[in-house]
Amino acid sequence: MEENNLIDGADYITLEDAKRLKLPYFEGLAAGFPSPAADYNHETLDLNEKFVHHPEASYFVRVRGESMIGLGILDGDICLADRTEEISDGNIVVAFVNGGLTVKRIDLSTKDQGFLRLMPANPDFKPIIIDAYDQFILQGKVTSIHRDTRKY
Amino acid sequence: MYAIVDCDNCYVSCERVFRPDLNGKPVCVLSNNDGCVVARSNEAKALGIKAGMPYFKLKEQFGSQVIVFSSNYELYGDITDRVMSLVRKAAPTFYRYSIDEGFCDLSGMENFDLKRWGEDLSAYIWKATRMPVSIGIASTKTLAKMASHYAKHYKGFNHCCFIDTDERRIKALERYDIDEVWGIGRRYAARLQALGVKTALDFANHAETWVRVMLNNVVAIRTWKELNGIDCIPMEDMSKKKSICTSRSFPGMVTDMTALRTSISNFAARCAEKLRKQQSVAQTVCVFIDTNHFREDLPQYWNMAEERLLTPSNSTQQIVQTATRCMERVFRQGYHYKRAGVIVMGISPDNGIQTNFIDYDSERHEKMKRLDEVIDKINREYGSETVVLGSQQYTKPEGKGKADVFKDSIKHDFRSPCYTTRWSDIPEAT
Repeated sequence: MEENNLIDGADYITLEDAKRLKLPYFEGLAAGFPSPAADYNHETLDLNEKFVHHPEASYFVRVRGESMIGLGILDGDICLADRTEEISDGNIVVAFVNGGLTVKRIDLSTKDQGFLRLMPANPDFKPIIIDAYDQFILQGKVTSIHRDTRKY
Repeated sequence: MYAIVDCDNCYVSCERVFRPDLNGKPVCVLSNNDGCVVARSNEAKALGIKAGMPYFKLKEQFGSQVIVFSSNYELYGDITDRVMSLVRKAAPTFYRYSIDEGFCDLSGMENFDLKRWGEDLSAYIWKATRMPVSIGIASTKTLAKMASHYAKHYKGFNHCCFIDTDERRIKALERYDIDEVWGIGRRYAARLQALGVKTALDFANHAETWVRVMLNNVVAIRTWKELNGIDCIPMEDMSKKKSICTSRSFPGMVTDMTALRTSISNFAARCAEKLRKQQSVAQTVCVFIDTNHFREDLPQYWNMAEERLLTPSNSTQQIVQTATRCMERVFRQGYHYKRAGVIVMGISPDNGIQTNFIDYDSERHEKMKRLDEVIDKINREYGSETVVLGSQQYTKPEGKGKADVFKDSIKHDFRSPCYTTRWSDIPEAT
Protein backbone atom coordinates (compact mmCIF):
# COMPACT_ATOMS: atom_id res chain seq x y z
CA MET A 1 0.00 0.00 0.00
CA GLU A 2 1.46 3.34 -0.97
CA GLU A 3 0.25 5.29 1.96
CA ASN A 4 2.27 8.41 1.34
CA ASN A 5 0.66 8.92 -2.02
CA LEU A 6 -2.67 8.95 -0.29
CA ILE A 7 -1.71 11.66 2.12
CA ASP A 8 0.71 13.91 0.34
CA GLY A 9 -0.80 16.49 -1.89
CA ALA A 10 -4.34 15.65 -0.92
CA ASP A 11 -6.70 18.58 -0.81
CA TYR A 12 -8.70 18.58 2.36
CA ILE A 13 -12.25 19.51 1.65
CA THR A 14 -14.22 20.68 4.61
CA LEU A 15 -17.65 19.29 3.85
CA GLU A 16 -18.79 20.53 7.23
CA ASP A 17 -18.72 24.10 6.02
CA ALA A 18 -20.83 23.31 3.03
CA LYS A 19 -23.22 21.22 5.03
CA ARG A 20 -23.96 23.15 8.18
CA LEU A 21 -23.79 26.79 7.13
CA LYS A 22 -22.08 27.55 10.41
CA LEU A 23 -19.44 30.25 10.08
CA PRO A 24 -18.71 31.83 13.42
CA TYR A 25 -18.09 35.51 12.80
CA PHE A 26 -15.74 36.85 15.39
CA GLU A 27 -13.35 34.16 16.38
CA GLY A 28 -9.71 35.14 16.86
CA LEU A 29 -10.02 38.86 16.17
CA ALA A 30 -6.65 40.52 15.75
CA ALA A 31 -5.48 43.17 18.19
CA GLY A 32 -6.48 46.65 17.21
CA PHE A 33 -9.56 48.76 17.50
CA PRO A 34 -12.32 46.57 19.02
CA SER A 35 -15.10 45.78 16.63
CA PRO A 36 -18.23 47.81 17.42
CA ALA A 37 -20.22 44.65 16.61
CA ALA A 38 -18.40 42.45 19.14
CA ASP A 39 -21.16 42.80 21.67
CA TYR A 40 -23.64 41.54 19.10
CA ASN A 41 -21.77 38.34 18.32
CA HIS A 42 -24.12 35.60 17.23
CA GLU A 43 -24.26 32.30 15.48
CA THR A 44 -25.00 32.33 11.79
CA LEU A 45 -28.37 31.07 10.58
CA ASP A 46 -28.88 27.35 10.35
CA LEU A 47 -31.57 25.85 8.11
CA ASN A 48 -31.83 22.75 10.28
CA GLU A 49 -32.60 24.85 13.30
CA LYS A 50 -35.29 26.72 11.38
CA PHE A 51 -37.03 23.75 9.78
CA VAL A 52 -36.23 20.57 11.68
CA HIS A 53 -37.92 20.83 15.06
CA HIS A 54 -37.90 17.11 15.87
CA PRO A 55 -34.91 15.55 14.09
CA GLU A 56 -35.62 12.03 15.35
CA ALA A 57 -39.16 12.17 13.99
CA SER A 58 -38.36 13.82 10.66
CA TYR A 59 -37.64 12.38 7.24
CA PHE A 60 -37.60 13.44 3.60
CA VAL A 61 -40.04 12.48 0.87
CA ARG A 62 -39.69 13.20 -2.83
CA VAL A 63 -42.90 14.29 -4.53
CA ARG A 64 -43.78 12.73 -7.88
CA GLY A 65 -46.47 14.14 -10.12
CA GLU A 66 -48.51 17.30 -10.44
CA SER A 67 -51.32 16.71 -7.97
CA MET A 68 -50.20 19.48 -5.60
CA ILE A 69 -49.02 22.20 -7.97
CA GLY A 70 -51.76 24.54 -6.73
CA LEU A 71 -49.93 24.76 -3.43
CA GLY A 72 -46.57 25.19 -5.13
CA ILE A 73 -45.45 21.59 -4.65
CA LEU A 74 -43.92 20.50 -7.95
CA ASP A 75 -42.73 17.21 -9.36
CA GLY A 76 -39.33 16.41 -7.79
CA ASP A 77 -39.73 18.67 -4.76
CA ILE A 78 -38.47 17.36 -1.45
CA CYS A 79 -40.84 17.56 1.49
CA LEU A 80 -39.73 17.41 5.08
CA ALA A 81 -42.23 15.43 7.17
CA ASP A 82 -42.50 15.23 10.95
CA ARG A 83 -44.28 12.31 12.62
CA THR A 84 -44.86 14.09 15.93
CA GLU A 85 -46.57 17.26 14.68
CA GLU A 86 -50.23 17.37 15.52
CA ILE A 87 -52.43 17.09 12.45
CA SER A 88 -55.52 19.19 12.03
CA ASP A 89 -57.99 19.88 9.27
CA GLY A 90 -56.40 21.35 6.15
CA ASN A 91 -52.78 20.36 6.91
CA ILE A 92 -50.54 18.93 4.21
CA VAL A 93 -49.79 15.36 5.24
CA VAL A 94 -47.88 12.29 4.10
CA ALA A 95 -50.06 9.19 4.19
CA PHE A 96 -49.67 5.58 3.26
CA VAL A 97 -52.76 4.75 1.22
CA ASN A 98 -53.45 1.31 -0.27
CA GLY A 99 -49.82 0.39 -0.78
CA GLY A 100 -48.15 3.70 -1.56
CA LEU A 101 -47.24 7.09 -0.15
CA THR A 102 -49.10 10.22 -1.06
CA VAL A 103 -48.79 13.90 -0.17
CA LYS A 104 -52.15 15.69 0.06
CA ARG A 105 -54.17 18.14 2.12
CA ILE A 106 -56.28 16.39 4.68
CA ASP A 107 -59.97 17.24 4.90
CA LEU A 108 -61.51 16.08 8.16
CA SER A 109 -64.86 17.88 7.73
CA THR A 110 -66.64 14.68 6.71
CA LYS A 111 -65.26 12.61 9.59
CA ASP A 112 -68.70 12.30 11.21
CA GLN A 113 -70.01 10.61 8.08
CA GLY A 114 -67.40 7.85 8.40
CA PHE A 115 -64.89 8.96 5.81
CA LEU A 116 -62.25 11.58 5.23
CA ARG A 117 -60.77 13.08 2.12
CA LEU A 118 -57.26 13.65 0.84
CA MET A 119 -57.42 16.74 -1.31
CA PRO A 120 -55.17 17.39 -4.30
CA ALA A 121 -54.30 20.97 -5.22
CA ASN A 122 -54.92 20.55 -8.94
CA PRO A 123 -58.34 20.55 -10.66
CA ASP A 124 -57.22 17.67 -12.91
CA PHE A 125 -57.06 15.33 -9.92
CA LYS A 126 -59.90 13.90 -7.86
CA PRO A 127 -59.97 13.83 -4.05
CA ILE A 128 -59.10 10.47 -2.51
CA ILE A 129 -61.96 9.23 -0.35
CA ILE A 130 -60.80 7.19 2.63
CA ASP A 131 -63.24 4.97 4.46
CA ALA A 132 -63.00 1.97 6.75
CA TYR A 133 -62.13 -0.36 3.85
CA ASP A 134 -59.00 1.51 2.85
CA GLN A 135 -55.54 0.94 4.11
CA PHE A 136 -54.74 4.37 5.49
CA ILE A 137 -51.80 5.14 7.77
CA LEU A 138 -50.78 8.72 8.47
CA GLN A 139 -47.02 9.18 8.17
CA GLY A 140 -46.68 12.70 9.43
CA LYS A 141 -47.24 16.34 8.63
CA VAL A 142 -45.33 18.10 5.87
CA THR A 143 -43.47 20.92 7.61
CA SER A 144 -41.52 22.43 4.71
CA ILE A 145 -40.88 22.06 0.98
CA HIS A 146 -37.45 22.24 -0.66
CA ARG A 147 -36.38 22.76 -4.25
CA ASP A 148 -33.05 23.48 -5.86
CA THR A 149 -33.77 26.48 -8.07
CA ARG A 150 -30.32 26.78 -9.63
CA LYS A 151 -31.54 24.97 -12.71
CA TYR A 152 -34.08 27.74 -13.47
CA MET B 1 -33.15 2.86 39.62
CA TYR B 2 -32.15 1.78 36.14
CA ALA B 3 -34.15 1.52 32.97
CA ILE B 4 -33.31 -0.48 29.89
CA VAL B 5 -34.92 0.45 26.61
CA ASP B 6 -34.94 -2.41 24.16
CA CYS B 7 -36.21 -2.30 20.55
CA ASP B 8 -38.71 -5.07 19.78
CA ASN B 9 -37.60 -7.32 16.90
CA CYS B 10 -35.28 -4.47 16.01
CA TYR B 11 -34.28 -5.17 12.41
CA VAL B 12 -37.77 -6.22 11.35
CA SER B 13 -39.24 -3.12 12.98
CA CYS B 14 -36.73 -0.92 11.11
CA GLU B 15 -37.87 -2.50 7.84
CA ARG B 16 -41.46 -1.64 8.75
CA VAL B 17 -40.83 2.05 9.45
CA PHE B 18 -41.36 3.01 5.80
CA ARG B 19 -43.42 -0.08 5.00
CA PRO B 20 -46.34 0.17 7.41
CA ASP B 21 -48.20 -2.32 5.21
CA LEU B 22 -45.92 -5.01 6.67
CA ASN B 23 -47.26 -4.60 10.19
CA GLY B 24 -49.05 -7.79 11.20
CA LYS B 25 -47.32 -9.84 8.50
CA PRO B 26 -44.55 -12.41 8.89
CA VAL B 27 -41.24 -10.69 8.10
CA CYS B 28 -37.67 -12.02 8.36
CA VAL B 29 -34.29 -10.33 7.98
CA LEU B 30 -31.37 -12.38 6.69
CA SER B 31 -27.74 -12.30 7.76
CA ASN B 32 -24.96 -10.88 5.59
CA ASN B 33 -24.75 -12.72 2.29
CA ASP B 34 -28.40 -13.73 2.73
CA GLY B 35 -27.24 -16.81 4.63
CA CYS B 36 -29.74 -17.35 7.39
CA VAL B 37 -32.53 -15.73 9.40
CA VAL B 38 -31.26 -13.23 11.99
CA ALA B 39 -34.48 -11.39 12.89
CA ARG B 40 -38.13 -12.41 12.89
CA SER B 41 -41.37 -10.59 13.44
CA ASN B 42 -43.75 -12.05 16.02
CA GLU B 43 -45.86 -13.41 13.15
CA ALA B 44 -42.80 -15.19 11.72
CA LYS B 45 -42.00 -16.64 15.15
CA ALA B 46 -45.60 -17.86 15.39
CA LEU B 47 -45.17 -19.73 12.10
CA GLY B 48 -42.35 -21.68 13.75
CA ILE B 49 -39.46 -20.00 11.96
CA LYS B 50 -36.33 -20.30 14.09
CA ALA B 51 -33.45 -17.85 14.32
CA GLY B 52 -30.51 -19.17 12.33
CA MET B 53 -32.66 -21.06 9.81
CA PRO B 54 -30.81 -21.09 6.47
CA TYR B 55 -32.47 -19.04 3.77
CA PHE B 56 -32.84 -21.94 1.33
CA LYS B 57 -34.82 -23.87 3.96
CA LEU B 58 -36.99 -20.87 4.69
CA LYS B 59 -37.78 -20.56 1.00
CA GLU B 60 -38.45 -24.28 0.74
CA GLN B 61 -40.83 -24.44 3.69
CA PHE B 62 -42.59 -21.09 3.60
CA GLY B 63 -42.12 -19.71 0.11
CA SER B 64 -43.84 -16.39 -0.43
CA GLN B 65 -45.73 -16.67 2.86
CA VAL B 66 -42.89 -14.79 4.52
CA ILE B 67 -41.53 -11.40 3.45
CA VAL B 68 -37.75 -11.49 3.41
CA PHE B 69 -35.17 -8.70 3.60
CA SER B 70 -31.39 -8.72 3.29
CA SER B 71 -29.82 -6.92 6.23
CA ASN B 72 -29.56 -3.18 5.71
CA TYR B 73 -27.36 -1.99 8.58
CA GLU B 74 -27.27 1.54 7.25
CA LEU B 75 -31.02 1.79 7.77
CA TYR B 76 -30.98 -0.01 11.14
CA GLY B 77 -28.16 2.23 12.34
CA ASP B 78 -30.06 5.40 11.50
CA ILE B 79 -33.43 4.32 12.90
CA THR B 80 -31.93 3.06 16.17
CA ASP B 81 -29.81 6.23 16.48
CA ARG B 82 -33.07 8.16 16.43
CA VAL B 83 -34.58 5.93 19.10
CA MET B 84 -31.53 6.16 21.35
CA SER B 85 -31.37 9.93 20.90
CA LEU B 86 -34.92 10.21 22.25
CA VAL B 87 -34.05 8.01 25.23
CA ARG B 88 -30.95 10.11 25.91
CA LYS B 89 -33.11 13.22 26.05
CA ALA B 90 -35.55 11.60 28.49
CA ALA B 91 -33.11 10.42 31.16
CA PRO B 92 -30.40 12.00 33.30
CA THR B 93 -27.71 9.48 32.28
CA PHE B 94 -27.76 7.20 29.28
CA TYR B 95 -25.45 4.51 27.97
CA ARG B 96 -26.03 2.78 24.70
CA TYR B 97 -25.33 -0.90 25.13
CA SER B 98 -25.84 -2.24 21.62
CA ILE B 99 -27.57 -1.36 18.38
CA ASP B 100 -30.99 -2.04 19.88
CA GLU B 101 -30.73 -1.40 23.62
CA GLY B 102 -29.56 1.27 26.02
CA PHE B 103 -29.45 1.78 29.78
CA CYS B 104 -30.57 4.82 31.75
CA ASP B 105 -29.48 5.67 35.26
CA LEU B 106 -32.59 7.24 36.78
CA SER B 107 -30.92 8.63 39.91
CA GLY B 108 -32.62 11.87 40.83
CA MET B 109 -35.96 10.79 39.39
CA GLU B 110 -37.11 9.02 42.57
CA ASN B 111 -40.14 11.25 42.91
CA PHE B 112 -41.33 10.55 39.39
CA ASP B 113 -44.00 8.01 38.60
CA LEU B 114 -41.46 5.83 36.78
CA LYS B 115 -43.99 3.36 35.43
CA ARG B 116 -45.80 6.24 33.80
CA TRP B 117 -42.49 7.73 32.60
CA GLY B 118 -41.66 4.46 30.85
CA GLU B 119 -45.09 4.09 29.28
CA ASP B 120 -45.01 7.67 27.99
CA LEU B 121 -41.48 7.29 26.63
CA SER B 122 -42.38 4.09 24.81
CA ALA B 123 -45.49 5.70 23.32
CA TYR B 124 -43.54 8.78 22.21
CA ILE B 125 -40.76 6.71 20.62
CA TRP B 126 -43.40 4.77 18.69
CA LYS B 127 -45.04 7.95 17.51
CA ALA B 128 -41.80 9.68 16.52
CA THR B 129 -39.88 6.81 14.95
CA ARG B 130 -42.36 3.93 14.48
CA MET B 131 -40.07 1.68 16.50
CA PRO B 132 -41.81 -0.40 19.17
CA VAL B 133 -39.72 -0.52 22.36
CA SER B 134 -40.01 -2.36 25.66
CA ILE B 135 -38.81 -0.72 28.85
CA GLY B 136 -37.77 -2.47 32.05
CA ILE B 137 -37.15 -0.54 35.25
CA ALA B 138 -35.60 -1.95 38.44
CA SER B 139 -32.99 -1.29 41.10
CA THR B 140 -30.25 -3.20 39.24
CA LYS B 141 -29.41 -3.56 35.57
CA THR B 142 -29.86 -7.33 35.61
CA LEU B 143 -33.34 -6.97 37.11
CA ALA B 144 -34.15 -4.17 34.65
CA LYS B 145 -33.19 -6.47 31.77
CA MET B 146 -35.52 -9.10 33.19
CA ALA B 147 -38.29 -6.52 33.54
CA SER B 148 -37.91 -5.54 29.89
CA HIS B 149 -38.44 -9.19 28.97
CA TYR B 150 -41.78 -9.13 30.80
CA ALA B 151 -42.69 -5.81 29.19
CA LYS B 152 -42.01 -7.34 25.79
CA HIS B 153 -43.95 -10.56 26.26
CA TYR B 154 -47.02 -9.47 28.22
CA LYS B 155 -49.31 -6.87 26.69
CA GLY B 156 -50.74 -5.97 30.10
CA PHE B 157 -47.57 -4.09 31.03
CA ASN B 158 -48.21 -1.53 28.29
CA HIS B 159 -44.55 -1.73 27.10
CA CYS B 160 -43.11 -0.91 30.53
CA CYS B 161 -42.52 -3.23 33.46
CA PHE B 162 -41.38 -1.67 36.74
CA ILE B 163 -40.05 -3.96 39.46
CA ASP B 164 -40.59 -1.53 42.30
CA THR B 165 -41.22 -3.77 45.33
CA ASP B 166 -39.50 -6.82 46.75
CA GLU B 167 -42.70 -8.75 46.28
CA ARG B 168 -42.66 -8.00 42.54
CA ARG B 169 -38.95 -8.85 42.36
CA ILE B 170 -39.58 -12.31 43.81
CA LYS B 171 -42.56 -12.87 41.53
CA ALA B 172 -40.46 -11.91 38.51
CA LEU B 173 -37.56 -14.17 39.52
CA GLU B 174 -39.88 -17.08 40.14
CA ARG B 175 -41.19 -17.14 36.59
CA TYR B 176 -37.82 -16.60 34.93
CA ASP B 177 -35.77 -19.51 33.59
CA ILE B 178 -32.15 -19.52 34.72
CA ASP B 179 -30.81 -19.81 31.17
CA GLU B 180 -32.59 -16.57 30.24
CA VAL B 181 -30.83 -14.56 32.94
CA TRP B 182 -28.52 -11.87 31.62
CA GLY B 183 -24.91 -12.66 32.56
CA ILE B 184 -25.42 -16.41 32.94
CA GLY B 185 -23.77 -18.04 29.97
CA ARG B 186 -25.01 -21.25 28.40
CA ARG B 187 -22.31 -23.29 30.12
CA TYR B 188 -23.12 -21.97 33.58
CA ALA B 189 -26.83 -22.32 32.98
CA ALA B 190 -26.35 -26.01 32.17
CA ARG B 191 -24.25 -26.51 35.30
CA LEU B 192 -26.84 -24.73 37.44
CA GLN B 193 -29.69 -26.75 35.96
CA ALA B 194 -27.80 -29.93 36.81
CA LEU B 195 -27.59 -28.63 40.37
CA GLY B 196 -31.35 -28.25 40.48
CA VAL B 197 -31.44 -24.50 39.83
CA LYS B 198 -34.31 -24.01 37.39
CA THR B 199 -35.39 -20.43 37.88
CA ALA B 200 -33.73 -17.13 38.67
CA LEU B 201 -35.32 -17.35 42.12
CA ASP B 202 -33.72 -20.76 42.83
CA PHE B 203 -30.39 -19.14 42.02
CA ALA B 204 -30.97 -15.95 44.01
CA ASN B 205 -32.06 -17.93 47.07
CA HIS B 206 -28.77 -19.77 47.37
CA ALA B 207 -26.23 -18.30 49.77
CA GLU B 208 -23.40 -16.26 48.31
CA THR B 209 -20.85 -18.80 49.56
CA TRP B 210 -22.68 -21.53 47.63
CA VAL B 211 -22.40 -19.49 44.45
CA ARG B 212 -18.70 -18.85 45.11
CA VAL B 213 -17.96 -22.52 45.69
CA MET B 214 -20.11 -23.92 42.90
CA LEU B 215 -19.36 -21.44 40.12
CA ASN B 216 -16.30 -19.48 41.24
CA ASN B 217 -16.86 -16.90 38.54
CA VAL B 218 -16.85 -13.12 39.02
CA VAL B 219 -19.64 -12.46 36.55
CA ALA B 220 -21.88 -15.16 38.07
CA ILE B 221 -21.39 -13.74 41.56
CA ARG B 222 -22.14 -10.25 40.31
CA THR B 223 -25.29 -11.55 38.63
CA TRP B 224 -26.35 -13.28 41.87
CA LYS B 225 -25.93 -9.99 43.75
CA GLU B 226 -27.84 -8.04 41.11
CA LEU B 227 -30.73 -10.50 41.23
CA ASN B 228 -30.86 -9.89 44.96
CA GLY B 229 -31.17 -6.17 44.41
CA ILE B 230 -27.52 -5.25 45.03
CA ASP B 231 -26.43 -2.86 42.31
CA CYS B 232 -22.90 -3.83 41.27
CA ILE B 233 -22.37 -3.63 37.52
CA PRO B 234 -20.82 -0.23 36.83
CA MET B 235 -22.27 1.77 33.94
CA GLU B 236 -18.82 2.26 32.43
CA ASP B 237 -18.55 -1.48 31.91
CA MET B 238 -21.39 -1.36 29.50
CA SER B 239 -20.96 1.81 27.53
CA LYS B 240 -18.09 0.82 25.29
CA LYS B 241 -17.08 -2.50 23.92
CA LYS B 242 -13.76 -3.95 25.03
CA SER B 243 -13.12 -5.49 21.66
CA ILE B 244 -14.62 -5.06 18.21
CA CYS B 245 -14.89 -7.90 15.76
CA THR B 246 -15.73 -7.80 12.07
CA SER B 247 -16.00 -11.20 10.47
CA ARG B 248 -17.93 -12.88 7.68
CA SER B 249 -18.56 -16.18 6.06
CA PHE B 250 -17.71 -15.93 2.39
CA PRO B 251 -20.45 -16.53 -0.19
CA GLY B 252 -18.32 -19.21 -1.80
CA MET B 253 -14.93 -20.35 -0.65
CA VAL B 254 -11.67 -18.45 -0.97
CA THR B 255 -8.44 -20.11 -1.98
CA ASP B 256 -6.04 -17.37 -3.08
CA MET B 257 -4.24 -14.95 -0.87
CA THR B 258 -5.12 -11.82 -2.87
CA ALA B 259 -8.84 -12.36 -2.41
CA LEU B 260 -8.41 -13.13 1.26
CA ARG B 261 -6.24 -10.06 1.70
CA THR B 262 -8.97 -7.91 0.19
CA SER B 263 -11.54 -9.28 2.62
CA ILE B 264 -9.20 -8.81 5.58
CA SER B 265 -8.56 -5.22 4.46
CA ASN B 266 -12.28 -4.57 4.45
CA PHE B 267 -12.84 -6.15 7.87
CA ALA B 268 -9.95 -4.12 9.28
CA ALA B 269 -11.25 -0.90 7.70
CA ARG B 270 -14.65 -1.55 9.23
CA CYS B 271 -13.08 -2.09 12.66
CA ALA B 272 -11.18 1.20 12.37
CA GLU B 273 -14.38 2.99 11.39
CA LYS B 274 -16.21 1.53 14.39
CA LEU B 275 -13.36 2.59 16.68
CA ARG B 276 -13.53 6.15 15.40
CA LYS B 277 -17.27 6.20 15.73
CA GLN B 278 -17.03 5.49 19.46
CA GLN B 279 -13.96 7.74 19.80
CA SER B 280 -11.58 5.07 20.91
CA VAL B 281 -8.33 3.43 19.87
CA ALA B 282 -7.14 -0.16 19.95
CA GLN B 283 -3.85 -1.61 21.13
CA THR B 284 -3.94 -5.02 19.44
CA VAL B 285 -5.06 -6.24 16.04
CA CYS B 286 -5.93 -9.91 15.64
CA VAL B 287 -6.80 -11.88 12.51
CA PHE B 288 -8.31 -15.34 12.22
CA ILE B 289 -8.95 -17.53 9.19
CA ASP B 290 -10.90 -20.75 9.03
CA THR B 291 -11.89 -23.45 6.55
CA ASN B 292 -15.36 -24.98 6.11
CA HIS B 293 -15.99 -27.56 8.82
CA PHE B 294 -18.99 -28.98 7.01
CA ARG B 295 -16.80 -30.04 4.12
CA GLU B 296 -15.18 -33.07 5.67
CA ASP B 297 -13.85 -34.03 2.27
CA LEU B 298 -11.52 -31.01 2.31
CA PRO B 299 -8.44 -30.49 4.45
CA GLN B 300 -9.15 -28.35 7.50
CA TYR B 301 -7.12 -25.48 8.82
CA TRP B 302 -7.65 -22.80 11.44
CA ASN B 303 -5.23 -20.20 12.66
CA MET B 304 -4.91 -16.74 14.08
CA ALA B 305 -2.23 -14.14 14.56
CA GLU B 306 -2.10 -10.91 16.46
CA GLU B 307 0.12 -7.89 16.54
CA ARG B 308 0.46 -5.23 19.17
CA LEU B 309 0.60 -1.67 17.91
CA LEU B 310 3.35 0.45 19.41
CA THR B 311 0.90 3.32 19.74
CA PRO B 312 -2.83 2.52 20.07
CA SER B 313 -4.61 3.63 16.93
CA ASN B 314 -7.89 3.95 15.08
CA SER B 315 -6.37 4.84 11.73
CA THR B 316 -7.74 2.86 8.81
CA GLN B 317 -4.34 2.67 7.14
CA GLN B 318 -2.50 1.45 10.18
CA ILE B 319 -5.05 -1.14 11.20
CA VAL B 320 -5.41 -2.43 7.63
CA GLN B 321 -1.64 -2.75 7.25
CA THR B 322 -1.28 -4.55 10.57
CA ALA B 323 -4.15 -6.92 9.82
CA THR B 324 -2.70 -7.68 6.38
CA ARG B 325 0.65 -8.57 7.95
CA CYS B 326 -1.09 -10.88 10.44
CA MET B 327 -3.00 -12.57 7.62
CA GLU B 328 0.14 -13.15 5.60
CA ARG B 329 1.73 -14.87 8.59
CA VAL B 330 -1.03 -17.46 8.96
CA PHE B 331 -2.14 -17.95 5.35
CA ARG B 332 -1.39 -21.40 3.95
CA GLN B 333 -1.82 -22.22 0.28
CA GLY B 334 -4.05 -25.16 -0.63
CA TYR B 335 -6.96 -24.67 1.73
CA HIS B 336 -10.51 -23.53 0.99
CA TYR B 337 -11.24 -20.71 3.40
CA LYS B 338 -14.84 -20.16 4.42
CA ARG B 339 -14.59 -17.60 7.15
CA ALA B 340 -12.23 -14.89 8.32
CA GLY B 341 -12.30 -11.95 10.67
CA VAL B 342 -10.46 -9.10 12.29
CA ILE B 343 -10.66 -8.35 16.00
CA VAL B 344 -9.28 -5.20 17.59
CA MET B 345 -8.64 -5.38 21.31
CA GLY B 346 -7.31 -3.35 24.20
CA ILE B 347 -9.72 -0.55 23.46
CA SER B 348 -9.33 2.75 25.29
CA PRO B 349 -10.62 6.31 24.82
CA ASP B 350 -9.03 8.33 22.03
CA ASN B 351 -7.78 11.06 24.37
CA GLY B 352 -4.40 10.85 26.07
CA ILE B 353 -2.99 8.07 23.94
CA GLN B 354 0.13 6.59 25.49
CA THR B 355 2.58 7.31 22.77
CA ASN B 356 5.66 5.32 22.10
CA PHE B 357 8.41 7.83 21.45
CA ILE B 358 10.30 5.59 19.02
CA ASP B 359 7.26 4.96 16.84
CA TYR B 360 5.40 8.20 17.26
CA ASP B 361 5.58 10.81 14.54
CA SER B 362 3.14 13.51 15.47
CA GLU B 363 3.02 15.10 12.04
CA ARG B 364 2.25 11.80 10.35
CA HIS B 365 -0.27 10.95 13.04
CA GLU B 366 -2.02 14.28 12.49
CA LYS B 367 -2.12 13.73 8.72
CA MET B 368 -3.60 10.25 9.04
CA LYS B 369 -6.17 11.55 11.46
CA ARG B 370 -7.23 14.27 9.06
CA LEU B 371 -7.39 11.80 6.19
CA ASP B 372 -9.62 9.48 8.24
CA GLU B 373 -11.87 12.39 9.17
CA VAL B 374 -12.29 13.36 5.54
CA ILE B 375 -12.96 9.76 4.49
CA ASP B 376 -15.53 9.34 7.26
CA LYS B 377 -17.26 12.53 6.23
CA ILE B 378 -17.42 11.60 2.55
CA ASN B 379 -18.69 8.13 3.37
CA ARG B 380 -21.35 9.57 5.63
CA GLU B 381 -22.41 12.00 2.95
CA TYR B 382 -22.41 9.73 -0.09
CA GLY B 383 -22.99 6.34 1.48
CA SER B 384 -20.55 3.96 3.12
CA GLU B 385 -17.53 2.86 1.10
CA THR B 386 -17.65 5.70 -1.38
CA VAL B 387 -13.97 6.19 -0.60
CA VAL B 388 -11.90 3.12 0.30
CA LEU B 389 -8.25 2.14 0.36
CA GLY B 390 -6.94 0.53 -2.80
CA SER B 391 -6.46 -2.72 -0.92
CA GLN B 392 -10.17 -2.84 -0.10
CA GLN B 393 -11.19 -3.27 -3.74
CA TYR B 394 -11.80 -6.67 -5.25
CA THR B 395 -10.55 -7.52 -8.68
CA LYS B 396 -13.46 -7.89 -11.06
CA PRO B 397 -13.98 -11.56 -11.85
CA GLU B 398 -14.17 -11.19 -15.62
CA GLY B 399 -11.19 -8.99 -16.15
CA LYS B 400 -8.46 -6.73 -14.95
CA GLY B 401 -8.68 -3.68 -12.78
CA LYS B 402 -10.03 -3.13 -9.34
CA ALA B 403 -13.55 -1.85 -9.07
CA ASP B 404 -15.83 -3.85 -6.83
CA VAL B 405 -15.81 -2.66 -3.26
CA PHE B 406 -16.77 -4.66 -0.22
CA LYS B 407 -20.45 -3.84 -0.08
CA ASP B 408 -20.92 -4.88 -3.68
CA SER B 409 -19.19 -8.19 -3.09
CA ILE B 410 -21.73 -9.16 -0.44
CA LYS B 411 -24.95 -10.79 -1.53
CA HIS B 412 -28.04 -8.81 -0.62
CA ASP B 413 -30.76 -9.62 -3.10
CA PHE B 414 -33.61 -8.32 -0.96
CA ARG B 415 -32.21 -5.13 0.46
CA SER B 416 -34.56 -2.26 1.22
CA PRO B 417 -33.67 1.34 0.30
CA CYS B 418 -31.64 3.45 2.73
CA TYR B 419 -34.67 5.72 3.19
CA THR B 420 -33.09 8.11 5.65
CA THR B 421 -29.39 8.12 4.78
CA ARG B 422 -29.14 8.54 1.01
CA TRP B 423 -30.74 11.18 -1.16
CA SER B 424 -31.13 8.65 -3.95
CA ASP B 425 -33.17 6.39 -1.67
CA ILE B 426 -35.66 8.72 0.03
CA PRO B 427 -39.26 7.53 -0.26
CA GLU B 428 -41.39 8.87 -3.10
CA ALA B 429 -44.96 10.07 -2.79
CA THR B 430 -47.52 10.88 -5.47
